[in-house]
Amino acid sequence: MIKSDTALTNENNNDEVSLGRNYIQEVLEKVMECVFFLCAFLGVVSVLAILAFVFYKGLKPFFGADAYSFFDFLFGTKWAPGQNVYGIFHMITASVAGTVGAIIIGVPVGLFTSVFIAEIAPKSLVNIVVPAIELLAGIPSVLYGVFGVGVIVPAILKITPQVQGQSLLAVVIVLTIMILPTIVNLSVSALKSVPKSYKEGAYGLGATKMQMIFKTVVPAAKSGILSATVLAIGRAIGETMAVMLVAGNPESGMLHSIFDKVRPLTTNIAIEMSYASGRQSEMLFATGVILFIFIMIVNLTLIKLTSGKSEKEKKPVEKKKDSNSKKEVSKA
Amino acid sequence: MNQKQKDAVTGFFVYGSSFLTVAILVVILGFIFIKGIPHINLHFLTANYENETTYVNIDANQASKFSDIGLAGEFNEDGQWEITSISSDSAVKGAVDMQGAAWKIKTGDVITKVGSQDLEALKDGTEEEKNAAVTAGFSEAENGQIRLKMTRLGGGIRPMVITTLYMILLSLLVAAPIGILAAIYLNEYAKQGKVVTLIRFAVQNLAGIPSILYGLFGSLFFVQVCHMGYSILAGALTLSILLLPVIISTTEEALKAIPMTYRESSLGLGATKLQTISKVVVPNALPGILVAVILSIGRIVGESAALLLTAGTVASIPGALTGDSAAGATLTIKAYTALKEEGNIGEACAIGVVLMVLVILLNFASKMITRKYLSKQGN
Repeated sequence: MIKSDTALTNENNNDEVSLGRNYIQEVLEKVMECVFFLCAFLGVVSVLAILAFVFYKGLKPFFGADAYSFFDFLFGTKWAPGQNVYGIFHMITASVAGTVGAIIIGVPVGLFTSVFIAEIAPKSLVNIVVPAIELLAGIPSVLYGVFGVGVIVPAILKITPQVQGQSLLAVVIVLTIMILPTIVNLSVSALKSVPKSYKEGAYGLGATKMQMIFKTVVPAAKSGILSATVLAIGRAIGETMAVMLVAGNPESGMLHSIFDKVRPLTTNIAIEMSYASGRQSEMLFATGVILFIFIMIVNLTLIKLTSGKSEKEKKPVEKKKDSNSKKEVSKA
Repeated sequence: MNQKQKDAVTGFFVYGSSFLTVAILVVILGFIFIKGIPHINLHFLTANYENETTYVNIDANQASKFSDIGLAGEFNEDGQWEITSISSDSAVKGAVDMQGAAWKIKTGDVITKVGSQDLEALKDGTEEEKNAAVTAGFSEAENGQIRLKMTRLGGGIRPMVITTLYMILLSLLVAAPIGILAAIYLNEYAKQGKVVTLIRFAVQNLAGIPSILYGLFGSLFFVQVCHMGYSILAGALTLSILLLPVIISTTEEALKAIPMTYRESSLGLGATKLQTISKVVVPNALPGILVAVILSIGRIVGESAALLLTAGTVASIPGALTGDSAAGATLTIKAYTALKEEGNIGEACAIGVVLMVLVILLNFASKMITRKYLSKQGN
């Protein structure tokens, strides 16, 4: 960009020289376009690299002479690196249970809150609730864990039949709090984008405010709310630090009650990675592969959900862009 | 149940949920601030994390107590003699360590040994016994030199603050240019096609990958394959990938907000595409790009899982970009280890207070910029 500056200011009236400058300028244009493109393409490279490295290392223990049975890995409920036993079924269960629990509580609470923000609250209250949610979204996840250890775990200790407060219940509560901002933010924009005529139509038919909201606006915003839910699932299943502090993280054992200690997939990786080597380290990558598969399902669902919507919105913009590029062509 | 009652019930849930959401925030912040604030003082913010112990030699001709060498202070409960003030003509100004290098003694340092007299051993003794030991210690002076064992007390978060700053600078140095240029490509150059769809798809996917998987990748690729070890550079490079989607999407928003007429006028005046971008589009999008950077800083400050696996948990200032002395814990990581390994919830909360103040400031800054920017555009 600095070069282009000098090229512009040094331009003089001599035709030959300015031809040379134009040539330089043209080359610069092409080079910079390449640079821009390469930067953008780095995103693709990153995804491929992450996939390749994690999958390569994670699938290694299941092939070759000393292969570990993939079935035992997926459906075993005992994780004992010392005995060369690696089962992660209880971790998958823990991850899924924690996420489902958080979604069951978090989505209704988040949806009601977003209804309040988008439809009901007077401006003064919106000015309190919205910054609160933005701040909630900005709290580092470790601090949710600190809060969990300091408040939620001791509270659970009072009602649990077991000796420790670290439990699936604690995980669910922490995750619920953590996904709330995601759900609220996306649902509010979905609710706000519902056309006014829908509401007027509902009122015109004699609906009360609540009927209008829950029978007209919410169903109309369904796809946005669904995307919010899917995004929240991704957040919940991938959350590590906060969960690690409140989960208890036992090596083995199936989940029987909500008060049981659990070890989700993410915390298995985070806890053992710092000292693992050899087969154990590969198995942690294998845990990562399973987590990755969950995340990919979530990602693809989300992209599918949002792309259908944004295509409709994008069309006019694209047209504008096309006209712009046409102009350039004609100019050239 | 008639309609009125139904409405009342749903209304209850709506108000209840909103109240709950705000209440949760208040409780979390309240907990962290109440537990953390008592730990916060100047020492906590500025001191090193580990205790630092040195032997120093001091000219102490005919001295028999600390006041003779220009120090004032008192014994603390561990038997250490804590310096509360140093007079301007104090002999300790000329203190040198065992290698002969000058060692600056500061107030707050503690003296644990005078000569061969161990003061900490006398921590339960009377004041007279301690003073006698000091005098005995001073009497051991050789050639007028007395050896003191000094400890600079740790317990502060200075290394983590500095590591966090390094991490922010390094990650942004890599991620900001790449992310901004990528956004420019996607918004200004890209024509709909397979490659662009692929890029957008990849960026969307990157945004959805949880940070622990970035950490896993970083610990394999940067730490092992690139031989960086647990280091600040490995952490920063891992974070750069993680930041790309944030920077790209926020910058793209800013670029989209610039009216097409700006570009058309510039092109119409004979500027090339690159000139249009560098002189018209980017300068106008600068506030938006700044917001992207601020959001990234927030992300770096709060990030933990990816760094845990790439930058390590050592509470010291990294001495190099890669290699053995390059590991360093950021504030967030330290909050985690303080709680997990030391069970010190107060310290974790105190770090939490620092983090929250940072997050609130960053939030506020990005809001102010957005508001100013929007009002300028007349939206």
